[in-house]
Amino acid sequence: MTTQLPPGMHLETVDDKIMTLNVGPQHPGSGHMRLIIKVDGDYIVSCDPDPGYVHRGEEKMAEYRNYIQNIPHLERPVIHDSSNILYPYCLGVEELLGIEVPERAKYIRVIAAELNRCIYILYWLAIYGIFLGHSTMFMWPAGDRELFIDLLEAMSGARVTHAYLVPGGVRNDLPSNFEERCLRQVEYFEKRLKEYEAVFYQNPLLKARTEGSGILSRTDAIRLGTTGSVLRASGVDFDVRKKEPYDVYENLDFQTIVMKEGDSYARSRVPYLEMFESCRIIKDALRKMPKSGSVRTKLKPNPKGGNDEVYRRVESGRGAIGYYIVSNNRPEPYRVKISVGSFRNLICMPYLLKGEKLGNMPAVYWGLNYWPVEADR
Amino acid sequence: MSNVIGIIRALNSGVKHLAIKRFTLRYPEQKLKFVGDGFQFNPETGVGIAGLRGRHILFHEHCTGCQLCSVACEGIAEAISMVKIHETWKHNKKAIMPQIDYGKCVFCGLCVDACPFYALYMTNDYELSSFTKSALIYTPAQLAIKPNIAQDVEIKIDDRGASHG
Repeated sequence: MTTQLPPGMHLETVDDKIMTLNVGPQHPGSGHMRLIIKVDGDYIVSCDPDPGYVHRGEEKMAEYRNYIQNIPHLERPVIHDSSNILYPYCLGVEELLGIEVPERAKYIRVIAAELNRCIYILYWLAIYGIFLGHSTMFMWPAGDRELFIDLLEAMSGARVTHAYLVPGGVRNDLPSNFEERCLRQVEYFEKRLKEYEAVFYQNPLLKARTEGSGILSRTDAIRLGTTGSVLRASGVDFDVRKKEPYDVYENLDFQTIVMKEGDSYARSRVPYLEMFESCRIIKDALRKMPKSGSVRTKLKPNPKGGNDEVYRRVESGRGAIGYYIVSNNRPEPYRVKISVGSFRNLICMPYLLKGEKLGNMPAVYWGLNYWPVEADR
Repeated sequence: MSNVIGIIRALNSGVKHLAIKRFTLRYPEQKLKFVGDGFQFNPETGVGIAGLRGRHILFHEHCTGCQLCSVACEGIAEAISMVKIHETWKHNKKAIMPQIDYGKCVFCGLCVDACPFYALYMTNDYELSSFTKSALIYTPAQLAIKPNIAQDVEIKIDDRGASHG
């Protein structure tokens, strides 16, 4: 073969021992993505993640819609965590338009965000269980998720895509006797959560598969720019809710979960322990919330932002989500850039999978808290 | 040895659940209870009233044909179009009212937020499936009908776990 190749292209040298394996483009519990894996027998030699199958151009679409019409679109990348992905957008737009948020609305937003974080983590945990062949751990979180979905449905009126947070507060006030119902269900959930310990986290089968696999050291976690539970599982004490508190998080009582091991087991355990903290935050917020008052600042029709730019970030179920919004005296934003945790955690996948057994790939992949739809936006 | 104890503990934790109530909602026979009569909005205060965001209800006696709901939907789902009606209302000179395509609607409820005349609300009706696409397009006359949805069960929590009634 003497075919002239275009400049910059070269033929791959083939090793008889190495086999290339296309994992995907499939739908591994979250959205389409592909991993190009090279294996030597049972061991992974290299891994090349190939995201982009579910790119929908949410950022470009946001430039043609006004600040309110963007709300249902911008929550689409993560429908299971829709309050948390809207949170930084609302904070940013409030800063651009100079809106003051009522005190009660701030507490309601924190409660909605924490309920949504639990919904996301329970879904994540259910898929983690079924990835490892543990079908009990699929059924239990998927069932307990219903408690929180019902609470958010009573609050916002929708089961999944809530469109509840808006610039200036929340769409509607809490229904009557929501506080006691929320308290009762959250307390029951905490009791249920303790049962996961024996059946899953102290299970020797899970420990044998995940302990010591895919170790990410503290320096590597910082160097690769990971975020969220991946960063905290490697021993870095970083949580946006603690370090840059937004709304009323500084008044609430909770702590950051940090584990030192940095392996798949630690990455699977940190979100689980965070659910206890979320329950604590919800109970504390219900106690400290003003019992009455306005929940939404009335906006002018078609509000315009000045010549300004703003960057706000919050802690979501998958790490820090940041919104960079530029406005140029028009009802529509000039540019919206979403910086998501999923994409930054994906970067460390080739490092973690090198030298790992192929059978451990699902545990490492899902432990990274990677959500293809959010990463592609 | 500790491995054996761990496996026995895990099995034991699962076996205990044989005595716990079943959590599953048996959907067509049982239906969930919702708060209120659906999502409503008070244009004076600018704050909504909590409720399920299901199918809309249109009050012909309030609708002025101002098209604000259709404008609000334009960048979101483009589900609302204004159509001619064969009724004569003094406050609706153009004789147009919204027609909603539920094949496109995302149930965000921003059209309800946009209505300044208390004419468009949402109801608890969520069973909108049909065999044809054209049956999903609801005319103003169909939207005026108040739905009657059975609501029986809600989550109950006692010593034997949570269950649906």
